[in-house]
Order: sequence, then C-alpha cells, then structure tokens
Amino acid sequence: MTRIITLRVNGKSYENEVSPRLLLVHYLRDVLGLTGTHIACDTSQCGACTVMFNGESVKSCTMLAVQADGGEVKTVEGLATNGKLHPLQQGFWEKHGLQCGFCTPGMLMSSLNLLQRNPDPTPDEIRHALEGNLCRCTGYQNIVAAVQWAAQEMKAKPAAGVAE
Amino acid sequence: MTVVTANKLLGDPVDRVDGPLKVTGAAPYPSDVTYPGLVHAVLVQSTIAAGTIRSIDAADAEAAPGVLAVITHENAPALAEGPMTPLLGPAPPSPLKDNRILHHGQHVAIVVAETLEQATAAARLVRIDYEETAPVLGIDNPEAAVLRNPWGLETQRGDAAAALASAEVVYDETFAIAAGTNNPLGLFATVARWEGDRLIVHESTQWPTMARQTLATVFNVPENDVQVLVPYLGGGFGAGLRTWPHAILTALAARLVDRPVKLVLTRPQMFTSVGHRAETTQRLRLGATRAGRLVAIDHVGTSTLGAEAANMEFISIETGAAYACPNVATHDRQVRLNIPSPGWMRGPGSEGNFAIESALDELSYTLGIDPLELRLRNYAEVHPQSGLPWSSKALRECYRVGAERFGWTRRTPEIGSMREGNWLVGYGMAGVTFGGAQLPCQVRVSIRRDGSAHVRSAATDIGTGTYTVATQLAAELLGLDIGQVRVEIGDSDLAPAPPSGGSSLATSLGGAIRDAAGNLLRAFLNVLAEDHRSPLQGRRRDDVTAADGRIHLVDDPSVGETYSDILARHELDELAADGEINPQADGAGMAPSGPFAARFAEVRIDAELGLLRVARIVSAVDAGRILNEKLARSQIIGATVMGIGMTMLEETIFDPGSGRIANATFGDYLIPVNADVPDLDVVFVGEPDRFSPIGSKGLGEVGIVGVSAAIANAVYHATGRRIRSLPITIDQLL
Ligand code: FES
Ligand code: FES
Repeated sequence: MTRIITLRVNGKSYENEVSPRLLLVHYLRDVLGLTGTHIACDTSQCGACTVMFNGESVKSCTMLAVQADGGEVKTVEGLATNGKLHPLQQGFWEKHGLQCGFCTPGMLMSSLNLLQRNPDPTPDEIRHALEGNLCRCTGYQNIVAAVQWAAQEMKAKPAAGVAE
Repeated sequence: MTVVTANKLLGDPVDRVDGPLKVTGAAPYPSDVTYPGLVHAVLVQSTIAAGTIRSIDAADAEAAPGVLAVITHENAPALAEGPMTPLLGPAPPSPLKDNRILHHGQHVAIVVAETLEQATAAARLVRIDYEETAPVLGIDNPEAAVLRNPWGLETQRGDAAAALASAEVVYDETFAIAAGTNNPLGLFATVARWEGDRLIVHESTQWPTMARQTLATVFNVPENDVQVLVPYLGGGFGAGLRTWPHAILTALAARLVDRPVKLVLTRPQMFTSVGHRAETTQRLRLGATRAGRLVAIDHVGTSTLGAEAANMEFISIETGAAYACPNVATHDRQVRLNIPSPGWMRGPGSEGNFAIESALDELSYTLGIDPLELRLRNYAEVHPQSGLPWSSKALRECYRVGAERFGWTRRTPEIGSMREGNWLVGYGMAGVTFGGAQLPCQVRVSIRRDGSAHVRSAATDIGTGTYTVATQLAAELLGLDIGQVRVEIGDSDLAPAPPSGGSSLATSLGGAIRDAAGNLLRAFLNVLAEDHRSPLQGRRRDDVTAADGRIHLVDDPSVGETYSDILARHELDELAADGEINPQADGAGMAPSGPFAARFAEVRIDAELGLLRVARIVSAVDAGRILNEKLARSQIIGATVMGIGMTMLEETIFDPGSGRIANATFGDYLIPVNADVPDLDVVFVGEPDRFSPIGSKGLGEVGIVGVSAAIANAVYHATGRRIRSLPITIDQLL
C-alpha cells in the first residue's frame, strides 16, 4: 500500500509515491537525496533532523512523509540563496560553531526558527532555544557566538536573512 | 607569559576549510552514501547476557517482504580473527563464530532487505531460543576473572610499600567512576560493496589504515583489495578506533547478497556496539612529609572488560610521571564481565587524574597548605621515572597564568567560607600531566603546474580540524596561499596514517608534511640540477626556502623562480614527494612530553536543594606550538564540556540482573546541553616542543582531563563534602 504525496521542498515541487510508514527524514534523505538533514537518535531527542515545515521548525524524524503532503519544507540545502551563504551559515563558519558538523544542519534550522521569532536573542535565550539540539563536539560556546553574529548581521543587512 | 604563536600562517585562527561544506549540508558522512541497488541491513541483538543459543527460527523473517538474507551463526561462513593492532592490542573478536552469548546486545543475526523498513520489520520476526546462564556482572564480583598488569604498563620505582609504612602522613582512599558512552552525534554507519574480490567500505572509523588491515585479515583478501573511505565523520571520541563486529557483518552481508549493503546503528546500538569508557575503581595511597613532599604513591586501578575482548586500559599511566616522588608503584587490573566490550573514550587515563588530583586536594587540607602550592612543592622538573629532561613543560606557567585569570588568590581556604546568600561557593583546581604520542605517519605532497599543492594521506578529520591544519602547514612550508592547497584524506588507499586518536594525529601528520615539503623542494632542485636557465641551478636544500609560490635563496629572495615556471619549462604536470615521521624516543636524550594543563573551577551549590552548578572553568594549557588558535580553543572547550558531562551527568547503567544497558537513549543517558554550559576560559601557554618536528603536542584529549577533580575539589571547598565517585549527583550533596 502506498500513497502519492505532493509537497514543496526548498522551493521545488515534488510528487512521490511513498509508503505510509516512511518518515519525513527518510523521505528527504533517501527519496530526494537531500542528505544534509541528519539522523542521530531514534527518540526525537537530538534535533539533528530539524527542518522547517510550513514556517515552523520540526524534527523530521517525528513526522511521516504523508503528513507533509501539501506542505512546504525547507532543509539546510535551501538555506543559502544563489550560492550566497545565509548569515547563520556564515556565522557558524566564522565563529567556529562546528567541529564534526553532524549537528550543524539541525542547529542551523533551529537557530533560524529562533531568529524569526526573536531577532535579537540574548546568549541565555539562545542557550535555551537550542537546548533541544545536541552537540557532542563544540561545547556550544561558539554556537551561541555564531547565532549572535548572525543576528547582528541580519539586523545590519535585513535582506541577508530573508527566509523566503 | 608566552602565548605560543609562530611565524606567518601557523597559529593563525584560520577558518576551517571544510566550513562551507558543513554549513550547507554537503559534507558526505558514511551514512549519506548510497549506490544503485543498495539494500539495507538491520542487526538482531541478544536479549540475554550469558548463555547459548539453542536454536534460531528465521523462517518468518526470511519469508517477509523484501528480505534477501538472514545471516546467523548457523549459516555464516567462518571468519578469521582481526589482527593485532598497533597501539590498541588485539582486534575485537569476529562476529557469529558460534552459539555462545557473552553480553546483552551481542549481534546474533543481520537481516538484509530491499528497504530499511522491511529489514527492521523482518528483524523482529527472528525467533531465538536461548539457554540462559547467570551472567558475571559488577566490577566487584568475586566470581569475575581478574587480569593483573595485562599490558605491562605498571610503574615501579623505589620502594613504595616501605615509604608508605614510614611516611609522616598517609592518605588511603578509594574512587569509583561510572561507565560512560562515547556517543558521537553521528550514528556509526557502514556501506559495503564488493567488486569481485575487491571490497569498498564507507566506514565510520577514526583510522582507515587499521580498518583496511582488519577487514583484509578477516575476509582473507590482500590489503590492496580493500578500500576504506571516510572523508567526513560525525565525531568519534574513541568509538571509531576499532573495526567493530557490525562493520564486519555488513561487509559479509554485501558479499552474500551480492549487493551494496548499508547498516546504520541505532542510538541504543551505539551503546552496545562501539565500545564505552569502562567502569573503574581505584585505591590510592599517598605518603607525604608534613612539609607537603610526596614520598610514596601506590595506585591500584581496576576497570571492567568484556568476557573475551581486549582493551588497553591504563588508569594510572600518568601517575608515575605527574609528580616528583621517589617511590611509586602502580597496578592495573581488568575484570572480565558479561558486558559489551569497553574501548577508549576521549582521554583514557583521565580517571587516574581524578584520583590523584582529588587526593592532593585532601592532603592540602590535612597539611594546611594551599592546593596550588602543594602541587608546586612536588613539581616534576625532569621526568621522574627516566630522569630525562622533558621535551617541553610549561605546567608551572599553566598554574601561574590559570590562577591569575581565575583569581585563585581570592579563595579563602576555610570550607564554606565563600558562601553568598543561599549559594555555597567553592573554588577548586587540578593539575594535568597527560600522554600524547607521535606515531609513524606517511604523506604524499605534490605541486601542479598551476601552482596548487595536493596533500594526500589516509588520515581522517573526525571534526578536530585535520583538513584545516594540514592545509595551513602545507601552505606555510611550501610558501603558498591557503586557497592553493587541497588536502585529501579519509581514504585507506592513500599513504598510511595513524588514527585520529590518542592526541596524536595533527603532530604526526604535521611532521610527515614537513618532511614531505622538504623532500619536494629537493625534488624541484633535482629537476634544476642541470638546468642552466634556472637561477637555482646547483643549489642545495639548505640554500633555499619557499614563499609566494616560488623557491628562492634564503640569502637573496630576489634569486628564485616559481613552481609553475619550473614545471612548465620542464614539461611536467606535477612533481610529488613523500614524507614520513618515525618517532624514536629511545636515545633522544629527552622525555617526549604530552600536553600539560591546569584547571580552575568555581561551583555554586544551592544550600537547601543540593543543586550543583558549575559557574566557570579556566583552563591553562601547554600543548606546545598551537597550529590554529581557533581550532585549538574549540577542542579544549568541547572537551571541557564533555568533562562536565563525565563529572555531573554521564553514567551508562548496566542492569545488575540482566546486564542490559538500562539507559541507552539520549532521553536517559544525559549529555550536556547548551543551557548546561558555564563560562569557559581557555589560555594557551608554553613553547614549541623539542621532540615534535612541528613543535605541537596533541590537544584533542587534554581538555577533558582534570575537569572532574577541579569540580569535585570545588564542591568540597564549598560544602565540606568529599565526593570520590562520578558522576556527582544531587543525592551526594544533600
Ligand atoms: S533524529 Fe534525533 S531528533 Fe530526529
Ligand atoms: S559539531 Fe559534532 S556534534 Fe556538533
């Protein structure tokens, strides 16, 4: 038994026949080949799989692909525009907010969600907003600095961080 | 204070070269790899800890939709055992040998199906009938077999027993540290494919050269017919230092179904399949004079071990090196239990530091000497075992600079004397002497006609920054821009390299790159030996240096020419040279140093609730020459936070009856989250190391060492409670 779903991912339309038990994260990774979204747990606790769904961050391992039918998904691959890095991406690079990089895509998408709600977060607000995204490498300090850097950048150049 | 910087590129906080790939989701990790016709594997694991399999009924699983194979010990071909591994000892035992069960979570079958969902569903249909026996569990179980001095690493000098018997002050306590699990964020994955008798494996490993050797031995094929690829890895922390049974099973499955097979471990399987930090107990006895001089150390370290696996554990390895003490005896014990095999987890030996540095703190109160002063009174000016001068040691500077930045002099010595309202405030510190090896490493470096350089080695970047540091070094040594250097690593077909582990890789690879760069300049001069048109004709290696894409005379930079001109004139596309290091400590006339550090911690404890908060940690680190300040600082911060996890949160719990790990998820095994992290200050001191060709000492692990003792000592200062077991939990403080 399969179902047909239609959705937009990073601004592109897709129509696929999927098994109803297929998770959104596996749809993105295995069907569409968008392997930037990572999986690091089985219990919805690590945040590595975070994507934007209809403008809100969701853990794509807790959603079925069929639930995304008709919706709009944005993954880390859709964060840069025309080859220009999003300020958050730039911030994580410049401020060294990553080591192995495995948590980074999810961390970026959660940060995007934070900055959309709160364009000028304090370090404490960042720490709490990103509490659901585990990182085993960096010790988080530079991640906070990266998000702050991006917030400043987006204030200075509002167009830079427009998420469609 | 000397903050280590170096000429030009070295030491520069260059942004990591793999940054753009990683922030766009384009860095390919092993779990991202796919092939046409790729199929999926799922493991079936034992639900008992000891006994045998009476029978396996795989009929329903085999008949399930999409299933291609169910491989068990009944139908698996016999596999050879893996080889002896340098540095680590015997490889983990090969899987599916027989019907014996040695631990809960042992792989007893692997199911292969067209889709992951089909394989997962079918794995549940494999019915196993066990004959259960009572498992041997618990580190103090009298029935457990005990190995004594299993690795020949015990230290003996002087007469510790006699010195203890006659010491003015004697200290005698025991310590316990819970098992921990490495838990890199990236789930370990293997994608295996056979092309005839050639095996290609995309593997979550920290050591492609070892993985190739292991797979070749197990499958009895020539090493040249095995290729292990890992351009990017989602962290390792020691879990990727072995080729574990799941990887072997995936390669076996690929051979049997004749399709590319992918296996991604689940998070619970990351607890049972790729090692963990062994649970440990220690007994530590110190003898000292009233003036605070150590006269004796006797240190017994006991760690848990799998029923048949090997793990080179050395809790007390640094005990004999840390302080100038004439009489030292260390003892290593390993206890065989029915548990998944422990392995290295970042900073093996940090357990011993917890005991020694806690004990010195206790002694400081007994003797009424400031804890920092006590350490200085026992400072090891030379290596206390060999008597040789250290190749570098700035621990005194670590103490001085760290104390200054932390404000150690503000500490009032009496317990509880720094209380602020409801908060009990405490200051604690710890010294760190850590090992770190340079290991044999090879690399090939080439320059192309367009002036770009290519660095190739089977090293890995597990997140630490190997790509970036190798790029910087090659650029500096060959006189090129960062953008002109391409580093290719993570491929076992390239020149053999040591692991990203044991704090060894950057220094070892760096030394090899330095050698290769020198050889490459020689190769260019050889090309010019008969070339009358070259201003460099007949020049020797020592006459020249490289800068701005050209080789020129040391004495007169105007005399020289570019790599591109030389290659073009001689119609060469590329010139390459190999480099290696083969460190020989014997006869070097010095004791090769690892990194040193001093850690200072401030804790705050809610007087009523027992709630423990680390307010700040200052780390002063001597890691020799710092190759990239930004990366180095990030290593220390990340490891410090892992140390906070070890101290306050992390505990792998084995159910005492069943041997099952009771908390094998991120919901139950707590690692520090963003909001747990205090103010962390890192400062580097010291000078380039004399034994290291590039002056650096490993810094991937030292950041975790000493955190536990600094925090526990601060807890004592705040509360008067001496905690000798980790993790420190709230019930210990109420
Ligand atoms: S994969 Fe861990 S939260 Fe989704
Ligand atoms: S950078 Fe490795 S998990 Fe965050």
